[in-house]
Amino acid sequence: MSLIEIDDLSVTFTAQGREVRAVQGVSLRVDVRESFGLVGESGSGKSTILRAICGLAPVSGGSIRIGGEVLRHDRAFARRVQMVFQDPYASLHPRHTLDRTLSEPLAIHGIGGADQRVMRALEDVGLPSSFRFRYPHQLSGGQRQRVAIARALMLEPEILLLDEPTSALDASVQAEVLNLLARLRAERGLTFLMVSHDLAVIDHMCDRVLVMQHGRAVEELTRAELAGARMQTDYARSLFEASADRLMG
Amino acid sequence: MTLLSVKNLRVTFETETGPVEAVRGVSFSLGRERLGIVGESGSGKTMTGRSVLRLIRPPGRIEADEMRFDGQDLMRLTEREMRALRGPRIAMVMQDPKYSLNPVMRVGEQLMEGLRKRDRLSRPQARAKAIAALEAVQIRDPERVMEAYPHELSGGMGQRVMIAMMLIPNPDLLIADEPTSALDVTVQAEVLKILDDLVRSRGMGLIFISHDLRLVARFCDRVLVMYKGRVVEELAAGDLLNAKHPYTQGLLNCLPRIGGDRGPLPGLDRDAAWAKEA
Repeated sequence: MSLIEIDDLSVTFTAQGREVRAVQGVSLRVDVRESFGLVGESGSGKSTILRAICGLAPVSGGSIRIGGEVLRHDRAFARRVQMVFQDPYASLHPRHTLDRTLSEPLAIHGIGGADQRVMRALEDVGLPSSFRFRYPHQLSGGQRQRVAIARALMLEPEILLLDEPTSALDASVQAEVLNLLARLRAERGLTFLMVSHDLAVIDHMCDRVLVMQHGRAVEELTRAELAGARMQTDYARSLFEASADRLMG
Repeated sequence: MTLLSVKNLRVTFETETGPVEAVRGVSFSLGRERLGIVGESGSGKTMTGRSVLRLIRPPGRIEADEMRFDGQDLMRLTEREMRALRGPRIAMVMQDPKYSLNPVMRVGEQLMEGLRKRDRLSRPQARAKAIAALEAVQIRDPERVMEAYPHELSGGMGQRVMIAMMLIPNPDLLIADEPTSALDVTVQAEVLKILDDLVRSRGMGLIFISHDLRLVARFCDRVLVMYKGRVVEELAAGDLLNAKHPYTQGLLNCLPRIGGDRGPLPGLDRDAAWAKEA
């Protein structure tokens, strides 16, 4: 049984009487400890799938199951599934110190020992303990994304949903954050569902990838198929050809 | 022939904690060719581009031993003379069309504004030129785009409109500051192709500012690599894979590759000595 099972998922937004079908009949399976990638251009619906899992998008059809159970967005869900957002400048509360940001999930779930847990969380993501009472504006983009990752891990979830976690970062900082994510996944046996527009990042991080376009699944590729350019559809091929690391030629 | 020559450019900002030098002694020259400037955030690449147009507001300060464009000393021109250069002779395409187009003005009006006010064209003449400019950047239905507001356009369309607007006066030098960073990869490739064709066919000089080393290598003739306000390496784009400076090598190696070994990506060990002035 797969850990994440999405069947025939549709998400429809209604704006001014017009329907926008952001996701149309997408199915996917992610196994325990697997890393699964969603790739596509803006508007392809890849982020919307992550948001639907979290209950942040209006599901209009199909089903999402986690560990065989139909999704309920309660506290137990938050302990299993956490999300890291794209923009580390927008996803941290500007007037909360790191200490408050990291200890809040513990308080909500009635978990004790916040003091040690916060210190350990900072250490796990490679931030010095002296940062504990800093505010987000005192940190660089890469440091903020480390905080967002630390926050997502406070409740020790099994699944991390990663929405373009490095696309707002410089190349060298991206490398540091990707290394951190890969290390944490290995250490804690996490399952990743990761969204990116960068095929090279997905290839580096994921075992399998689903290519999306205009809200629909286009093609699913294993890592070997991607590396060997054995894609069946023209669209997947054009994404592959346009990928930045092909440009070096 | 040298179009632009910059010697020992410095950009300084006075702050409460003392002066901060964003650009420290940058020199380069440019003919009718494509020059890339790459570096991380804060390396001074954007400030270098803006300095050429003297678009740095006080308390920022520009100093240079020389900054000559087509025989004119940019450091000595009056503000009025600078305005005559900005646009018609030297144009700049900004990073994000969402923030660089006027959100409450139709695209057509924005395109025609310069033609009407600067070139004193009649409305029909200005309109015809604006539509031709949109066609030059391969916008298929220019009539519709003329009537649209910026929020009704996709990122790629918005960036094409920006490029069209900058190219209307046929400038000699185009400065493009991360013109494709906000775009998807496939759209990015299209916009770059358009930019490349225009630069070639019109014989313009181009300064292409980007944090993406691989993109710059593909698209430019020559590359300046900046670190903390200084140029640490200058090389022909084709030689990028043979870069000597450890910073340039680090920037290249820290990028993941399709079909790579998935081991930890090499970090960038920064050496304080790179930032020191020679």
